[in-house]
Amino acid sequence: MADLLGFVLSGLVSGALYALLATGLVLSYSASGLFNFAHGATAYLCALTFYELRSGFGWPAVPTALLVVCVLAPALGWGLDRLMFRKLARVGETAQIVATIGLLVALPALGMWVVELLEDAGAPVRPAENAFGLPGVGPSPATSWQLMDGVGVDSDQLITWVATAVVAVGLWVLMRHTPLGLRLRASVDNRSLVELRGMSADRLSSVAWMLSSALAGLAGVLATPLLGLSAHDYTLFLFVSATAAVLGRFASIPLAFAGGLALGVLQNLVAGYASFAERITGFRTAVPFLILFAGLLLVARRQRTAGTAAADAPPVDYLASRSWARRWGPWAVGAVLLAVSFYTVTTPFWSGILAGGLAISLVFVSFTVVTGLGAMVSLAQATFVTGAALVAGLLMSHGWPFLGAALVGTCVAAVLGALVALPALRLGGRSLALATLALAFLADHVLFQIGWLRNGDTGWAIPRPAFGPVDLSDDRAMGVAMVVLVTAAVAALSALRNSASGRAMLAVRSAPAAAMACGVSVIRTKLLLFTLSAGLAGFGGVLYASYNTRITATDFTAMTGLIWLAVVVAAGVRRPQFAVVAGLVFAVVPHVIADYVTQSAHLPVILFGLAGLALANDPDGYCAAVPTRLHRRRAATPSPVRANVTPRPAPTHGTDGTHGTDSADGTARESSAPALELRGIHAGYDGASVLHGVDLVVRPGELLALLGPNGAGKSTLCKVAAGLLVPRGGQVYVDARDATREGPVGRSRAGVVLAPEGRGIFPALTIEENLALHLRERVERDAVYARFPSLAARRKITAGSLSGGEQQLLALAPLLQRPPRVLVADEPSLGLAPRVVDDVFDLLTQLRDAGTALLLVEEKAAEVLGVADTVAYLAQGRVSWCGPRADVRVDQLTEAYLGMADEPSAPGVPGAPDAPDTPDGAQEVSRP
Amino acid sequence: MLRPIRTIATTAAAAAALLLATACNSASTPTSGSDQGSSVRGVTDDSIKVGGIVSMTTASGYSKKDTDLGAKARYQRANDEGGVNGRKIDYAGAEDDGQDPGKNLAAARKLVQREKVFAVSPMSSVTFSGADFLQEQKVPTFGWGTVPQFCGPTYIYGFGGCMVPTPGGTITQSWPEGLADVLGGAKGRSVAILANDNDAGTFAIRTYQQSFATAGFKVAYAKAAVPATSLPSDWTAYTKEILRSDGGKAPDVVVSVMQTPYNIGLFTAVKRAGFKGVITDPTDYDPALLTKEATKKALDGVHVLLPFEPFESGSDRMKQFKADIRKAAGKEVPLNMHMMTGYMSADLFLAIAERAGKELTVASFQKAAAGFSDTDTMVGDRALPKGQREAFGCGALVQLKNGSYEVSSPFRCYEPIPFK
Repeated sequence: MADLLGFVLSGLVSGALYALLATGLVLSYSASGLFNFAHGATAYLCALTFYELRSGFGWPAVPTALLVVCVLAPALGWGLDRLMFRKLARVGETAQIVATIGLLVALPALGMWVVELLEDAGAPVRPAENAFGLPGVGPSPATSWQLMDGVGVDSDQLITWVATAVVAVGLWVLMRHTPLGLRLRASVDNRSLVELRGMSADRLSSVAWMLSSALAGLAGVLATPLLGLSAHDYTLFLFVSATAAVLGRFASIPLAFAGGLALGVLQNLVAGYASFAERITGFRTAVPFLILFAGLLLVARRQRTAGTAAADAPPVDYLASRSWARRWGPWAVGAVLLAVSFYTVTTPFWSGILAGGLAISLVFVSFTVVTGLGAMVSLAQATFVTGAALVAGLLMSHGWPFLGAALVGTCVAAVLGALVALPALRLGGRSLALATLALAFLADHVLFQIGWLRNGDTGWAIPRPAFGPVDLSDDRAMGVAMVVLVTAAVAALSALRNSASGRAMLAVRSAPAAAMACGVSVIRTKLLLFTLSAGLAGFGGVLYASYNTRITATDFTAMTGLIWLAVVVAAGVRRPQFAVVAGLVFAVVPHVIADYVTQSAHLPVILFGLAGLALANDPDGYCAAVPTRLHRRRAATPSPVRANVTPRPAPTHGTDGTHGTDSADGTARESSAPALELRGIHAGYDGASVLHGVDLVVRPGELLALLGPNGAGKSTLCKVAAGLLVPRGGQVYVDARDATREGPVGRSRAGVVLAPEGRGIFPALTIEENLALHLRERVERDAVYARFPSLAARRKITAGSLSGGEQQLLALAPLLQRPPRVLVADEPSLGLAPRVVDDVFDLLTQLRDAGTALLLVEEKAAEVLGVADTVAYLAQGRVSWCGPRADVRVDQLTEAYLGMADEPSAPGVPGAPDAPDTPDGAQEVSRP
Repeated sequence: MLRPIRTIATTAAAAAALLLATACNSASTPTSGSDQGSSVRGVTDDSIKVGGIVSMTTASGYSKKDTDLGAKARYQRANDEGGVNGRKIDYAGAEDDGQDPGKNLAAARKLVQREKVFAVSPMSSVTFSGADFLQEQKVPTFGWGTVPQFCGPTYIYGFGGCMVPTPGGTITQSWPEGLADVLGGAKGRSVAILANDNDAGTFAIRTYQQSFATAGFKVAYAKAAVPATSLPSDWTAYTKEILRSDGGKAPDVVVSVMQTPYNIGLFTAVKRAGFKGVITDPTDYDPALLTKEATKKALDGVHVLLPFEPFESGSDRMKQFKADIRKAAGKEVPLNMHMMTGYMSADLFLAIAERAGKELTVASFQKAAAGFSDTDTMVGDRALPKGQREAFGCGALVQLKNGSYEVSSPFRCYEPIPFK
């Protein structure tokens, strides 16, 4: 019993550290959707800073710890958020994962480099290497107390517990009982709605990153006596604590916190009682990763887009329509030149480096299959490489020929790939990435510890093959052979991409459900992708090992796989030829830097980490950035010409002679100044323009109903009005002030409120909290409850559990209490029962009577005509009619409505904002 | 699926054709020879070029960078004394391999193909993927023989011999014999051996189980049980088992075959649990550890095995070593074992080069190495090629007492035992 108590108590120490790290992970994930692989590196950096300030500069322990945790760590989080994370939140998941992997290696290198520079400058710093048994916040060595036989605590443990408990309580108070916490939770729930409510999601994200960073800093400072200054250990510690974040589903801070504590205890119990596993070398080492893997499988929900990152929209391929020579010519010439150079210009040294770079390219190309084609992030590629090479080496030691051994090795890697793919069928995005990472660690610690497979630290010799007269032990021959193989791989993958299977893969990537509906087997496609990628990695691995002439089990670890992925994605993972560039850069650049820039080993690592910064701007890598930028430059010149081609005289110059305003002039409210005015709005999305010069005016106390069929551009118009979308041309005036460039936050603060399509509520917050976001004063909230007794009865209930009508009332109710200047309501009646629709319209009328200018977007023409003052009709991105309700002749409107809806260009998918760019001549202007 | 297969087949055919074209080319070119012709790589009339490979920056925070200083100190003295057979040593410094296999090989290639060194000394890292290349290029290489590449290849020499026991080879007995010396005999004494839960740990357990048993100890506990990647925050699970291992009692000796951070945790826990016996490990001979209170306390009383003469020894060669290091560093620096590995790697190279005579070629060097032996160095009696199969078998134990190391079992060479 005392044993058990001891295990639990001391398990709570690492548990507390896990909990701190996991909480930080969840916070930053919720704030920006980013799984921060560099969280452990942040902790390391803080531990290093704490150590240098405390031991090097001799500062007192507690103030230094407070400085690091409360000032320096948050500052780091803030800076990184401003520089990287904020931008990364808007790019695809692969780029996000990779950017933080870059930081994971760059931050520690930066820290050590700064220490080196300070040392050179004569500062009293201590070397960051070989630092063991470091002092923590408490006394060093730690004081220990024996509670009972075999159960003891020491001061470091006690400090960890107390600090963690204080943080837990503090976080709870902050999140549950302060306006800031409420906003943070709201932004976790629905980021864009937060912006529409006038709160800056960016600023909230900064706060979350600062908090997260502070938590990492606290974990770092507390862990200093335990982990010393090993960046590697901190990162491993982070991966383990990711389990706790998974338990909290990356959203629940209390769950993540409890999960962290439980994890520490569980790990300790396994260490204490898992004697059954003694015969399996590496089992105990692998326990945390087993737990991580099991946690992912058990907890991860079956997601709609399992296995893919739907946010990864493919970039436009600007060369798609060009000829073969234009697309492939430069690459082919490059390959030939490279092959020729081996026998002409390169020195033996560079021949060797280039051959090695080409060999690793083959491994890198495998990433373009699983991540580029499949949009699944695999962090286990190094496992396939090691597995294939070890098997090939084992067979060759038994006298197998190179080709046979390589083939079997490749097959083994493919089988491993299929095994790893099994979780991929359930998981997606970061969960999949973490699962593959866990499996990679499992392989490192258990599979590759098997004596007969790894052959100790000696490994297996894989001599370079000789085929008849071609002897690859000459680096130049090896180089040329690799050029040929890499070319073949690139060609084969490009052919695959353009084949039916390739299209199936792309289909599964972008819309699994739709792919399934078309008869594409998602499961088979994913298995195929993983198997193919693993096989390719394995084959490349055998060749790379034969370039090295040997494979040992520790040559390519799970961490190596992380770095590889980062290198490939930095170059671009969508096309196999980019991976080749990545391989060559990976091999050549460190030597170039060492030759021409600096001998410091830290700088190349830091530069490499900066690739993450570049990814924030060019998420498709530097190779893809070149054609994209060229294209943009080309496109930048003709675009003004295009604007001039629009047949209508540009209304952007403030000319009021358009029919929209003309008609509005006829209404009774022409005397009052417009609250919201749109002038000549042109707007759209990448590749599709939706609005072609819209003019609208809404005055205070006016309800303008905007009617139109699906795809007319109504929702786009709402977004422009609310500032969610910046128009390509035209202006938005709020109270006669030009607000065109203002974002949703500014627009909302200026009094323009958008009730977005669907429900404008925060489903995870309670009714009370939803109201409190808009109405700070208790009296105001009570007034709402008085009006809507049905809400009052359930104020502690989460808003997500309300019925659709109640949710819509909850979204609009607080507005009555403080009527906004302008309310833009995007189909508020969508999906509601007729009786509730009446309630909603009643509410809107009251708002109008309170002086709000209402822009009401609806498809339900008949109901709206009962409440509208003015009616505008939007068709194919233009206001085709606008006038007072009295002038609306229902039969004509209906005719027009049906006539428009009949047009072939009108898309049929509800809610899709994709009005096609129809030729201007096809547009009918129907005036009653 | 048919179309891509056809395309792949076409591509493959094209590739084969290209490869064939390469064949004619590569067949006619000789493999890059290193020491053909009259000039010897890295050797001129008055200099011998030498380089090194050392792990200096690593993600684990472990660095061997002072190896470079040790080598520099030894070469500097050689040059001050007139060089080797009239040739000065042109030491190009050490390349940093960052404990990365890829970088290790690249560093070896750089030294041979660009710097054109005659030999690599020192080479000290946990990874040695450049070994095959150096062997193939016939580059004499000297370093810390704790990796298997120092056992077997003809051009690669460990300064203390090959320190990785191989089944069928021998095991060095300096550790158990030294402990027996400390305890006044091994008979009736029990040991508990703890290692990391990985292949290396399992192998260490196998080795030392036999080693201690042969020396007369009773091995009460020998397990590779400690997770190798995540440092336990709590050691009670292990200490409990160990302290009950000798028939419910604590063993006489606790042996750790782990790295410093693990040892600190384990030893602190063992002592807190009331263990009064002997504690020993082979890694913690680092005077820098004495500068921190926590390590000083954790390691107090621990007997540390070292494969070379302790710095505490008062011999002339040790005085010389200290003077050389001071001169090379330009100031008084705390000594550590990496300096010793660099210094003795350089020393072995110099000793063999001296014997090779004025006509220095790789062949003459290898010939001199084949029959090389000397005695009374800081790593004991050296003999080649025996040293490419087994360690020189010498060692000492030092004990950390009240903040300084004291020799507890003097530096001596022991007879190795066959490794079954």
